[in-house]
Amino acid sequence: MPGGKKAESEEVAATKTLTRRDFLVTGGTIVAVDALIATTPAKAAVPAPAAKGDAYPQSKGYLVYDSKKCASCTTCMLSCSLTHYGVQSLSLSRIQIMQDSFGKFPYDIKMAPCRQCETPPCVINCPTNAAFIDTKNGNVRRIDAKKCIGCKTCIAMCPQQPHRTVWNHVDSKASKCDLCLETPYWNEKGGPSGKQACVESCPMKAIRFVAQMPDQTQTDGYDVNMRNEHWTKLGLVDDSRLVPPVAMGAPKSKPAPKPKE
Amino acid sequence: MTGGYTGKIARVNLTTKTVSTIETAKYEEFGGGHGIGSAIFFDLVGDQLPFEAFDPRNLIIMMTSPFSGTFMPGSGRCEVQGLGPGLYPVEWFGHSNFGGRFTAQLKFAGWDGIVVEGASDKPVWINIMNDQVKIEDANGIWGMDTYDTQQEISRRVMPKLKFGEWAELAGDCYTTQIPAVVCCGPAGERKVRIAGLLHGPGSQAALCGYGAVFGSKNLKAISAIGSGGVPIADPKAFMDARLWFRQFQWDVDNPREPEKFEGRGYMLINGAPSGGNVSNGSFPVQPARAAACASCPRGCRMRLASGDSNESVCAGSMFVRIGGGGFGGGPPAASTMPAGLSGKLTRQGNDLMHRYGLGHWQLMATQSYIQFLNRQGIIGKGKEIDCDLPFDQSGTFAYYEALFRKLSLREGKFGDFAAEAAARMAEKLGRFKEDVNSGNLRLTYWGTQEHYSSQVEVEWGFGALLGERDLMLHMMANYPLHWMAQSGNPYLTAEEASKLYAEAMVPYNDDRYLVDYGVGPTGVYSDSKVKQVAWVKHYEKFWVGAGGFCGWRWPMCITNNTADRRGATPQAEPKFWNAVTGKKNTFADCMELGHKIYTLDRSIWILQGRHRDMEVFPDYVYDKPSGGGSELPMVIDGQWKYDPGKGRTLDRAKVEDFKTRFYKFEGYNSDSGYPTRATLEKMNLKKVADLLQSKSKLG
Repeated sequence: MPGGKKAESEEVAATKTLTRRDFLVTGGTIVAVDALIATTPAKAAVPAPAAKGDAYPQSKGYLVYDSKKCASCTTCMLSCSLTHYGVQSLSLSRIQIMQDSFGKFPYDIKMAPCRQCETPPCVINCPTNAAFIDTKNGNVRRIDAKKCIGCKTCIAMCPQQPHRTVWNHVDSKASKCDLCLETPYWNEKGGPSGKQACVESCPMKAIRFVAQMPDQTQTDGYDVNMRNEHWTKLGLVDDSRLVPPVAMGAPKSKPAPKPKE
Repeated sequence: MTGGYTGKIARVNLTTKTVSTIETAKYEEFGGGHGIGSAIFFDLVGDQLPFEAFDPRNLIIMMTSPFSGTFMPGSGRCEVQGLGPGLYPVEWFGHSNFGGRFTAQLKFAGWDGIVVEGASDKPVWINIMNDQVKIEDANGIWGMDTYDTQQEISRRVMPKLKFGEWAELAGDCYTTQIPAVVCCGPAGERKVRIAGLLHGPGSQAALCGYGAVFGSKNLKAISAIGSGGVPIADPKAFMDARLWFRQFQWDVDNPREPEKFEGRGYMLINGAPSGGNVSNGSFPVQPARAAACASCPRGCRMRLASGDSNESVCAGSMFVRIGGGGFGGGPPAASTMPAGLSGKLTRQGNDLMHRYGLGHWQLMATQSYIQFLNRQGIIGKGKEIDCDLPFDQSGTFAYYEALFRKLSLREGKFGDFAAEAAARMAEKLGRFKEDVNSGNLRLTYWGTQEHYSSQVEVEWGFGALLGERDLMLHMMANYPLHWMAQSGNPYLTAEEASKLYAEAMVPYNDDRYLVDYGVGPTGVYSDSKVKQVAWVKHYEKFWVGAGGFCGWRWPMCITNNTADRRGATPQAEPKFWNAVTGKKNTFADCMELGHKIYTLDRSIWILQGRHRDMEVFPDYVYDKPSGGGSELPMVIDGQWKYDPGKGRTLDRAKVEDFKTRFYKFEGYNSDSGYPTRATLEKMNLKKVADLLQSKSKLG
């Protein structure tokens, strides 16, 4: 993958010097981790606890979303892969949107952007410090592709399903959302103080950048209601007691009748 | 090759069970999609024409465009081509297309398209996973409905896939996506001439009967899943273009002038999400989401809490509600406007139609004609066509269930009769001319139903007549203009709308009267109309056909979403095209390519027997006054006005004169409608000219 503009970074953890080959061929605990990757579903992986008293600097930015507003056009995914890699690919996207055409709303879609975790398992467990907290750029949890040895530990350790660390099969490296800090194929400045390609391109405005950390204890803490009164006018109401506006031209202003009990 | 293409097209021979590759570069001059499909069809079987649609030599060509798999707005369509058994009187080389995710996944798998030839000796399906293209046994799948087929194939392709998780495809490549499957249903298996192809629960290639061609080849389905990507020639320019396009989208959080435009009619025509599913537009509404095809910012479909009628739009979501009436002033509605049919049963009835794999658009005319023949005493218990359909319950779910079953399974004499579809039903009864000319059976163009008034919305009628089936280019006159005045509160005057349209219609944009639907000197018989129809055909062939554009999104000549009401056409198309492909084409360059593709299609039809003498409307268009319909811009007494054209008939001699001028304008012989050698050679189609000449069909 080509390079390009790269944000200055400073890593929290000390540099290690393992190579992918070292990691994969040497014994001891590393092999044990490898075996864990091969045999354990990601959702069963438990992140290593931080040392007592350790605190990871909080990210200054998060992506929240509204899974009921998403139309599953995958524009966000294609924007992600385009701005980062110059190609359009769902598999390379660091935000994943899954859809089941035969499913029932709202369970027909699952949105999966990186959570920029308060306690980031990917960073904690990376054996080469390729996954790091970028303290010069809003504490974004990132992966330095140059240091990544492709061991997939970060992928196995991500407790989310689907895992938010994404395997880049082209380069055999792990990747993850960097809030568009390093987007060589976009003319806009990204990162916590800039723009995010998925947010900008989403036609449903179903992804939003926020500075405040969402609730970390709830799986759906990032899934928030972004629908205002105009969404109701589309006739996609969550409340079937409302009558959608079916008239031509100007909307009717009559109050919605109550259903018969 | 430059960006947008993967470089290879899969060629699958079902007779020999072999898979080979066609290099896309060989056909790059045709753009993509429909253009490449037509060129491949001509090269592989053009010299063998004419032959029948169910002949193993017929091809099913499913092409992507350079935009497929990208976020080019509204470009997720898959173009299907081949001889169409649902067309009449000749099974023309036709086309149909469907939305959804199929072209994106085909592209991600590394293929620009698939060409299927021959016929299998047993039921099979085609499994495309990245580079692997396999012909699989359809044992256990053949006989399933379209929904079950797709879900069963997904399970077979990716048995370990769990919704919402990553799954490995092959070679350390992963995806979270479900395989995209397109298939025929029981109707296609039995070669019902109006069988469509289904992808997902509601994306349907509904025209021409390609489900029946699948059936004739013993081909049940094609599945595609891939983990690759689409190369983009200028990624930064493409991203900039996509963000630039936001100004033309409906702003879901803050729509422009909501007090004026937040009514369902305007929302539908101007690109607001979800409005395409008309079965969920009245109380009690089902909670739903707007559901988009791959890459589309519009999201005109829905997925409902009930899970029924998912992803269906327009005719696919309302067939059971209207049953075939109500278009173009006819055909007669045949007691199909069931007042008591609930939204739920409407949706479930439409799903049943999809499950059988019946092509909704042509089914409308067939269903309506069945009712007509029942009233005529020809179909029914103990009648000439003996049938126990419960006509006394027409409009009910029970009626439609019985109809769909008999038709799809060819049950009994009636089933076999109806499976041949309306045109051939009428022919078999010896009353085709009588019923079509009278307007009782409005198969106005090539066995497909009149969509809008041929007397008033003439570019639709002319465009279809000079094509091979219903035009289906909704965003030309239809949505923006068709509904503008009908809303009672048009946001543009007739003069303003016609001006903005004309200015967008490059390269004929110096003609102020392109969308004059009046009968005056600049109206429906004028040279301005010749240009409009040519523009429609060229746009249809290149941007919609070769580009994979959705006819519900493009062209966009006007919109309420911008302050000056100008749409994205003609700026957007080349902006996106060049960013993806790396070419430096103007809008006009691509329209000329559309002209070339139309000329190639026309040459294929001529090899099948087309002549200008066949390109005539039924008598009712000339003799029976239009009931009027939408109000369109017209110059009346020197002033631009909206008018429905009520009472209008077309004049035979003037239509013939219009055709003469159209053929000349396009570079065709005006006596025959055949392209001339000069025209073909100018388009680098010398081999087409040579073949036509060898058949004594050169203009």
